[in-house]
Amino acid sequence: MRDAPARNRRKEHMKQTVRAALVISIGCGWSVSGAPAEELLVTSAAPGKYGGDLVVAERSEPKTLNPLMAVENVSREAIGLLMADLIHINRDSQQTEPALAVSADISRDARRYVVHLRRGVRFSDGYPFDADDVLFTFDVYLDAKVHAPQRDLLMSGGKPVAVRKQDSNTVVFEFAQPYGPRDRLFDSLYILPRHLLLKPYAEGKLNGAWDLKVAPGGIAGLGPFRFREYVPGQRLVLEKNPYYWKQDRAGQRLPYVKRVIFRYTGSEDAEALQFENGGADVLSRLSARNFDAISKRRDPSEVLIDAGPSLEYHFLFFNLNDLSNRNLSHIQAKQVWFRDVRFRQAVSTAIDRDAIVRLVYAGRATPIWSPVTPGNKLWRNPKVEPSPRSVAKARTLLGSAGFSWNSANRLLDSSGRLVEFSIVTNTNAERVQMATMIQQDLEEIGIDVRIATLELRTMLDRITTTLDYDACLMGLANGDADPGSEMSIWPSRASAHFWELEPTTPAPQWQTEIDRLMAAQMSSSDPRERKRLYDRVQELVAANLPIIALISPHVLAGSKTGLRNFRPAALLPYVLWNADELFWDAQHNPKTASHQ
Amino acid sequence: MIRFALRRAVHAAVLLVVISLCSFSLLQLAPGNYVDAMRLDVSISPDTAAALRARYGLNQSLPARYVRWWGSVLRGEFGVSFAYGMPVGSLLWPRIKNTLLLATIAAVGLWTVGIVLGVGAAITPSRVLEHVVRSFMSVLHSVPDLLIALALLLLAVRTRLFPIGGMTGLTDSASLAANARDLAEHLALPVTALVLIGLPLVVRHVDAAVRDALRSPFIQAARAHGIPRRRILIAYALPAAANPLISLLGYSIGGLLSSSLLVEVIMGWPGLGSLLLESIFSRDVHVVIGATLVSALFLITGNLISDLLLYVADPRLRVKR
Amino acid sequence: MIRVKTAIACGVLATVHGLALLANFAAPYSFAAQKREFAFAPPTAVHWIDRHAHFHWRPFVYGSNGEDESRVYPIRFCTRGYSYRFAGLFPLNRHVFGVDAPGVLFLLGTDGFGRDQFSRLLAGSRISLTAGWLAAILSLALGAVLGGISGYHGGLLDDLIMRMSEISLALPWLYLLLAGRAFLPLDAPSSTAYLVLISVVGILGWARPARLVRGLTLSLRERGYVLAARTFGASGGYLLRTHILPDALSVLVTQMALLVPQYIMAEVTLSFLGLGIDEPVPSWGNMLAGVQHYHVLVSSWWMLLPGVPPAVVALCCFTIADSLASRAGAIPL
Repeated sequence: MRDAPARNRRKEHMKQTVRAALVISIGCGWSVSGAPAEELLVTSAAPGKYGGDLVVAERSEPKTLNPLMAVENVSREAIGLLMADLIHINRDSQQTEPALAVSADISRDARRYVVHLRRGVRFSDGYPFDADDVLFTFDVYLDAKVHAPQRDLLMSGGKPVAVRKQDSNTVVFEFAQPYGPRDRLFDSLYILPRHLLLKPYAEGKLNGAWDLKVAPGGIAGLGPFRFREYVPGQRLVLEKNPYYWKQDRAGQRLPYVKRVIFRYTGSEDAEALQFENGGADVLSRLSARNFDAISKRRDPSEVLIDAGPSLEYHFLFFNLNDLSNRNLSHIQAKQVWFRDVRFRQAVSTAIDRDAIVRLVYAGRATPIWSPVTPGNKLWRNPKVEPSPRSVAKARTLLGSAGFSWNSANRLLDSSGRLVEFSIVTNTNAERVQMATMIQQDLEEIGIDVRIATLELRTMLDRITTTLDYDACLMGLANGDADPGSEMSIWPSRASAHFWELEPTTPAPQWQTEIDRLMAAQMSSSDPRERKRLYDRVQELVAANLPIIALISPHVLAGSKTGLRNFRPAALLPYVLWNADELFWDAQHNPKTASHQ
Repeated sequence: MIRFALRRAVHAAVLLVVISLCSFSLLQLAPGNYVDAMRLDVSISPDTAAALRARYGLNQSLPARYVRWWGSVLRGEFGVSFAYGMPVGSLLWPRIKNTLLLATIAAVGLWTVGIVLGVGAAITPSRVLEHVVRSFMSVLHSVPDLLIALALLLLAVRTRLFPIGGMTGLTDSASLAANARDLAEHLALPVTALVLIGLPLVVRHVDAAVRDALRSPFIQAARAHGIPRRRILIAYALPAAANPLISLLGYSIGGLLSSSLLVEVIMGWPGLGSLLLESIFSRDVHVVIGATLVSALFLITGNLISDLLLYVADPRLRVKR
Repeated sequence: MIRVKTAIACGVLATVHGLALLANFAAPYSFAAQKREFAFAPPTAVHWIDRHAHFHWRPFVYGSNGEDESRVYPIRFCTRGYSYRFAGLFPLNRHVFGVDAPGVLFLLGTDGFGRDQFSRLLAGSRISLTAGWLAAILSLALGAVLGGISGYHGGLLDDLIMRMSEISLALPWLYLLLAGRAFLPLDAPSSTAYLVLISVVGILGWARPARLVRGLTLSLRERGYVLAARTFGASGGYLLRTHILPDALSVLVTQMALLVPQYIMAEVTLSFLGLGIDEPVPSWGNMLAGVQHYHVLVSSWWMLLPGVPPAVVALCCFTIADSLASRAGAIPL
């Protein structure tokens, strides 16, 4: 029986071999059948601790969770936490970085983008993500019948971008012309879940999907948080997405906080009250005076941050439209003054921007002489210099343009008419204050200015439809630092070319030049060339003053002490752009009990 | 009685239809529409804006839009909100409940305190007390409603005793007692504001009505009969004073609703008020019409209830002349 | 017999209106003058006793709005200041009181531009009181006419007018007001635009006075002397003009006393919504509207003071209304 142990051993060996083979084959089968290892993005911010809630005070409610329908900033902020894009612009550095895409190969002529997707990523409901979702997303965005606002961003040379799936983890984008902004295009083009939205899309009901009454199971995204609950008129509650594809250097999966709660307060002043009352943790976009009032309290439980100028700029512009087909002769008479660049330069140099910064913004704004603000680190042309206020210089300019003054120091034009005009602005406290100060400043050079305060939409109707106004004081914010987002402002027939929606013919030479430069930078594949072209645009704008840039308000934000990685940035969304990295330190964590 | 109620119901229905027509026309008066503000968003092209206008029917003629709205009403949606992308009915319903809750509790508080103070001022032998109550009510009436609400807000923030804004707290609780306490804490400020705003009128009228009733001959006769004062007050004077007070009830419901708009906006109560104001400014016309119709319905119902109560309470009205 | 309280109320109202008429004389600074270095300055402290414990008959202030005790500025009376047109007729530059430059005297502090709140309050009283009176008169006139017709004729006309009043109470008139400013030419002076807006508000408020007058007319038209006049062939219009409305006069005056403060408050609400008179013209409403801002609410307490004049005016009007009503034996609604 010497064979029995050997036979047993052989049987044992066989069993082990079979077992091993079974395990290996199952293992192979498993990986082949498709649960690949997750490729997580590792962030560079300081690693944090889990736990707690983040309550964000907002002056208006998010209105929808559908990226195709969201037009308000609050809705976009909420959606930005629920969804993710392929390539993301880091709001701090203002440069692109990989997001859902691990990398993107950009062809030399900036026409072809081969995007390599992150593997093993899941939606917030556990469903796997792959190139089919990307393809579906761009089908939706490009579908003319859907009328998505995103469609306009995906056009180049009048043709939509072509999207092609190369394999389950690679998608190729092809433009008709070189696309200047390159991969910045992909920021905020959120990837939609095909498994949830294919059916509504096929039925043509996509625009009605994901309103605030949606069930939490009916909406899914790739962002750090997922939708939990909406209490009408009170709050929107988002909870942590367990499948989020980012982790910190210590290997902890982001985000850290358990819930993000958007708390509706009704007005910016009510936000400040709520913050003081302990009912909110984070405030974004405070007004300067409220910021000052809160910081004067020196409450150790509050941290207030002035993050410097944003991309927002407030400016004055004159009605330079061609009014020959309209019955507005009284304005046409004044346009003789408005069209003279020396008149605009005189007005610009007579305005005391420092006083506006000091009085209206309590010092928390930056005077600007160009719509590209200091908040735009990459594109600002440093050669466009500030020119300090000089009433004497204004008088000289006006004198050389044929104006004179009567005995009461009132300005007269070359035909002896009194120079006076009205500035129209909307019922925004700071803008009205600015207009009042401009009124006082221009009185010093003899111009009689009247201020007409209209409600916002009424004002917009005036300046875009009836064109019945003299001058307007307004504020705009660029969506992105890149000049690509300026294409709707500077070219002559652009939709936001407010001062001259009806262009005069022939167009001034500098305007034609700006048209050419903007078109060129949009289809240039060389970033240095684009910078050169856009610098020239800025110089032309500063010299010819189609708009008179005044100030850029700073980004003013506040948080409760103990919130780490809180880094307000100059681009929207100012405070929540790195919500996945925010955490409460040990002393202030968890915080759910102390909220009201 | 049934016929009376039915007639009033028909009246109310006709009134609501006319109000809807007038509102619709009025809403076209202000220049600009919902989509216009998108001009300020440079990422939205004019073509997309035009397509949105077409989708919302904003480029159609007024009668066509009105007819389209009626179609939506018959489907139970009452139009679609441009901002929320939701049917107006489902958008308004939670807000209506919240406003009704606030208004009901405030009305109860208002009339309770009002009756106590008014009756007290009318029957008290102390002239000093009577004077104090009357003067205080006069001063309260003179202070702008806005200031009352703001002062209460400031008080809340400085004492940290009450939450401001909202109706429910952030932590959900299963126990009824905890939820009730939470609701009460959130109700405290808005209800106090509404009571303070409405109190002067109620106290003045209760005071006058009770005083009038106490002066009338049949009360004198009852006194002469030796009926105790308290019984006279409760069983005789108050019912006689009820007639003008019930008429005031209908009127004060209207006042309560309009003050509640102000209080809701300032104190962040999630009712119709804040939604209505925001919708007016953003030109979300279907929401404005829906909310207007709801307010009109409240007013009409308030008047109807007070008329019915009057009918029940005052036997003189039931006797056919 | 006029009671003491009513007499005091009348006196206070007369003072307020007098100050409004003499606003330019009583105010040390022009309402638009910006002293930008004194933005949000608290009220200037007025002293009679100086640092060295000397008593001065003439009150004085210290320099830099009270901060600089080395400079003393006595308050002068009937002093020279900015020039204005008295009653719109002849130019004058005398003011009740003032201090020599560079001293400043801000009795009620300054706003965000360094504009003297006291002067603005006086200038604003013109706007607010005009608004109150204008809207109240329009409201009452239209209401009296429609209510009188409605009550007198009864029947279908009465029904129609009453239904219209109910509808009018329910409609969202805010829309009309939003549009209001847009209908006027932009270079119309802001005061014109404002007056038009206030007139619209007043006209829109016809419903409540109309119901009141209707009730009155209903009760009065059955009076003996009215019926007698009817048998003599008097027409409806004659009866309304000569018999009914004069009797209703005391009630109408009471109503007026209630409407004026109501419309002053309406102006405050309009200003809160940004629909009030344009900068730089002050009104009690737009001065008070600053209170809705957080920083004003918590730190600049003197910005709440513009709430006092409307409250005082309201209190006086209510006192007068009460005394009028108690004579007539009715409760004003």
